[in-house]
Amino acid sequence: MSRHAPLPLDARTRAWVLWSTGASLLPLLLQLPPHLAAAIAASAVAVTALSWRRPIPGLLRLLIALVLIAIVLMLSRFSIGRDTGCALLAAMLAVKPAETFTLRDGRSLMGFALFAPFATFLLDQGPVSLVLGLVAVLLVLASLQRMADLESGDVKAVGPRQRLGGVGRLLVVGLPIALAAFWLFPRVASPMWGIPERAMARTGLSDRMSPGDWIDLMSDDTPALRVRFFGATPAPAQMYWRGPVMWDFDGRTWTQPRWRPGQAQASTEPGGVRWDYEMEVEPTDSRQLVALDLPLDAPGGAYLDPDHTLQAFRPLNSISRWRLQSAPPARFDADLPLAERRYALALPAGFNPRTLALAHQWRAQAGAGNDAAIVNRALAWIQRDFAYTLETPLLGRHTVDEFLFEQKAGFCEHFSSSFVVLMRAAGIPARVVTGYTGGYRNPLGDYWLVRRSDAHAWAEVWLRGRGWVRVDPTAAVAPERIYDTLESRSSAGTGFEGVRSFGDVTDWMRRGWNDLVVSFDAQRQERLLSPLGVDRLDWRTLIALLAGAIALGLLWMVWLSRRSERERDPVLRAWHRLGRRYRRFGLERMPSEPASTWVSRVAAARPDLAAELGTLSQHFSDWRYADAQTGERSARALTRALRAHRPPATSPGERR
Amino acid sequence: MPVAAARRLYLRVHAIAMVFTRPRDPESLPARLDRRRIYVLPTRFGLFYAVALMTMLAGALNYNNNPALLLGLMLAGAGLASLVAAQMQLSDLQLIAADAEPVAAGMPLELRLHARAEPGRTRRGLRLDDDGTSDAGPSVLNLDKGAGDAQLLLPTERRGWFDVPKLRLSTTRPLGLARAWAYVWPETPLLVYPTPEPHGPPLPGGRGESAQARLHPAGDDVHHLRGYRAGDARRAIAWKSSARRDTLMVREFEQPIGSEIVLDWHATSGIAYEGRISRLARWVDEAEREGRRFQLRLPGQTPLGPDRGPSHRHACLRALALMPHV
Repeated sequence: MSRHAPLPLDARTRAWVLWSTGASLLPLLLQLPPHLAAAIAASAVAVTALSWRRPIPGLLRLLIALVLIAIVLMLSRFSIGRDTGCALLAAMLAVKPAETFTLRDGRSLMGFALFAPFATFLLDQGPVSLVLGLVAVLLVLASLQRMADLESGDVKAVGPRQRLGGVGRLLVVGLPIALAAFWLFPRVASPMWGIPERAMARTGLSDRMSPGDWIDLMSDDTPALRVRFFGATPAPAQMYWRGPVMWDFDGRTWTQPRWRPGQAQASTEPGGVRWDYEMEVEPTDSRQLVALDLPLDAPGGAYLDPDHTLQAFRPLNSISRWRLQSAPPARFDADLPLAERRYALALPAGFNPRTLALAHQWRAQAGAGNDAAIVNRALAWIQRDFAYTLETPLLGRHTVDEFLFEQKAGFCEHFSSSFVVLMRAAGIPARVVTGYTGGYRNPLGDYWLVRRSDAHAWAEVWLRGRGWVRVDPTAAVAPERIYDTLESRSSAGTGFEGVRSFGDVTDWMRRGWNDLVVSFDAQRQERLLSPLGVDRLDWRTLIALLAGAIALGLLWMVWLSRRSERERDPVLRAWHRLGRRYRRFGLERMPSEPASTWVSRVAAARPDLAAELGTLSQHFSDWRYADAQTGERSARALTRALRAHRPPATSPGERR
Repeated sequence: MPVAAARRLYLRVHAIAMVFTRPRDPESLPARLDRRRIYVLPTRFGLFYAVALMTMLAGALNYNNNPALLLGLMLAGAGLASLVAAQMQLSDLQLIAADAEPVAAGMPLELRLHARAEPGRTRRGLRLDDDGTSDAGPSVLNLDKGAGDAQLLLPTERRGWFDVPKLRLSTTRPLGLARAWAYVWPETPLLVYPTPEPHGPPLPGGRGESAQARLHPAGDDVHHLRGYRAGDARRAIAWKSSARRDTLMVREFEQPIGSEIVLDWHATSGIAYEGRISRLARWVDEAEREGRRFQLRLPGQTPLGPDRGPSHRHACLRALALMPHV
């Protein structure tokens, strides 16, 4: 449109643009692996510093961009995924300031910077990302506003607060339409295209486990799931959230078998207790779900593997909710097929000779049928001789031997792995089970929070007549480290019932946010109006509702924008109000009428008011036009006086 | 290339929109810009913003990524609000008058547009241009306390009535996402005087030298000195006195004697029609500068003058400007 030369950015506008870019980049960088984030941040700072005064030559710019792309690809080991893509976006944003000198450059940079918060949400939907994303958006809009001012040729020295206020106003004006569209725009029930997987794994339960590799996970305090129980709540020692079950052992690593679809499920016989609960599962990017030992049936959208592990049909990319029922099994797969029995006894050849020898010895002593005695003997031994620690040395070839006979200290991975190997060697079918244990009850909102650091590994042994039985060797050593209960984490000891810890409140708010916003989807949208008696909303109704809401929103927009801006100066505001108070006498001050003219007009009609109004008007004129009393205090006193003045409806003479 | 094609399409649409929103007839001021006269279309950057948001929203919907969706919708809402805000800056703006001092053809005409509005709403940085009719640069209209004016320099080419072009007031504030614009076509008569001949013969009616010679003896008696004002004839400057007082002084005569001249159309025969008008225009200016009484005689009109002073000069130049074009 403009045929004129490109408008250069002045220093202040450029600073706005660059700071906004930085603010957009920040939440994204926080979600990338630290080394990658550090590399990108460093190059962003370097590029910005280099190009602060004059542009970097084009060839150099290209070179920097290529080098940065290469670094990102190398640090992510050339695996292309969602996070790699986000890292590339961040890298491009980091280089872009080098060529930002005209209005057009600034605008295109801001346009691209808006992608950064969105990319962040693909990786994380937590509150920190959200707040930082909002801040970034606010700054970007403020920069756009600044650039529009520059374009209009009227750059006033507007303070950052005022500028952000103006942008915030636009956001507020647009908010009703945004919210209406959020709740009412028809959602897609199933994605039209899949979400790219993350190339760089994050901590969490996986389908493999080798002793010692959970150190990161054990210190990751982020939530894994939140659970609400309906009715009976299991005791903390019963809260085993059963996840991947590992059968295969190669001497170091346990892996979960890949079951063929449609394979028969193990038969179970539920025990007396029933637990009815709803899980809100944080995204993990895998399909693995956990469930309280043992789920009765798979909920919709998930299925049970033959070993009763729960798998979702689709990767858990976002927060998901599952309504489940579990019961501790009375009998679990009591008649084990021969193939599975063999599978549960298999051990790699040439590993852990001392453990095998010990197991054979125990078996010889216990006799052929008495598996339970061997289990108990092992547990007793572990309880007597072993210790719990997170500081474990790297293990060599015979991992189990080294743990059982030398270190005698470790954490759940070591205990479960060694226990299962010992059992298998003694001829008892056994397998490693991973998942979470315990949980923390948040008194605020009455739900249980399970963190990633609650990850745990235990064992299941198959006993004749009962089937698979859960055995937790770690619990024999350090139960307090496993059952993470109310007593162990909150400040219950202080005796103040009313005092909630900060963590309680933030997690409760987080849960509310998840509930209200993050986990809203097509199914919940369908039931949006069920409190009003509308069972199902189809998309036509939704569109109609949305159109209505948008129309209302537009009206609100126009009304809000039309409301003239409030006078900023309190004295002037009070003066204008005072003038309007005379409207009912038909003596309102005209917009352009000088104070003295107005006062004499009032004096002519209402002589009783002349004196008081004359004094006030004189004070006002002095304050406004004379330099004498421009102090803060006199202004406040004047405002008070102006506000206090109420012209009586009738003059004293008429009243009689 | 799709980008180039999209750009062409955008420019096309924009051009068509501009054509459709242009007024057909001039109007008399004052005029109020009501809602029906104000048009809003996204700028190129606004389209980019919309496409980017659309991409993000599609992704967010597909992955059911609610924070992203919410943020995108908030941005979209702010964009819509900025459309309304852009329109608001122009609506209810009153254009009171447009005027300009007449200038000689070829000189830029300084058009002043006076605007007024209820105070309260911020109306600053409104761009005023002539919609690309000429290559006049845009100017800025700022309203402070409900009033403001803008000067627009319009190039002039020929003498006579000047057609004020369609004026366009536009703004891309607050976010640069949309441009709101409105047209005003003031029906204000503005006059462009003929271009004075750059070089030509001196004033007729007595030779120039003798006129000067006659002035001197008379002036010696009656003149007094005053400070130089722009437009004073160079020969009226009293150089010696000026040198003494270190400021330019001008001799003033109470009654310049024998300086009354007649500027006659018929005395300029032998050159082209427009050339004659130019020469007369120059003589008018020169006579006025020298403070001489003059009379302008044009064919088919009653002679103007003899008289002197700015209003006489304007009357003469106006008559010359309105000579029929051939």
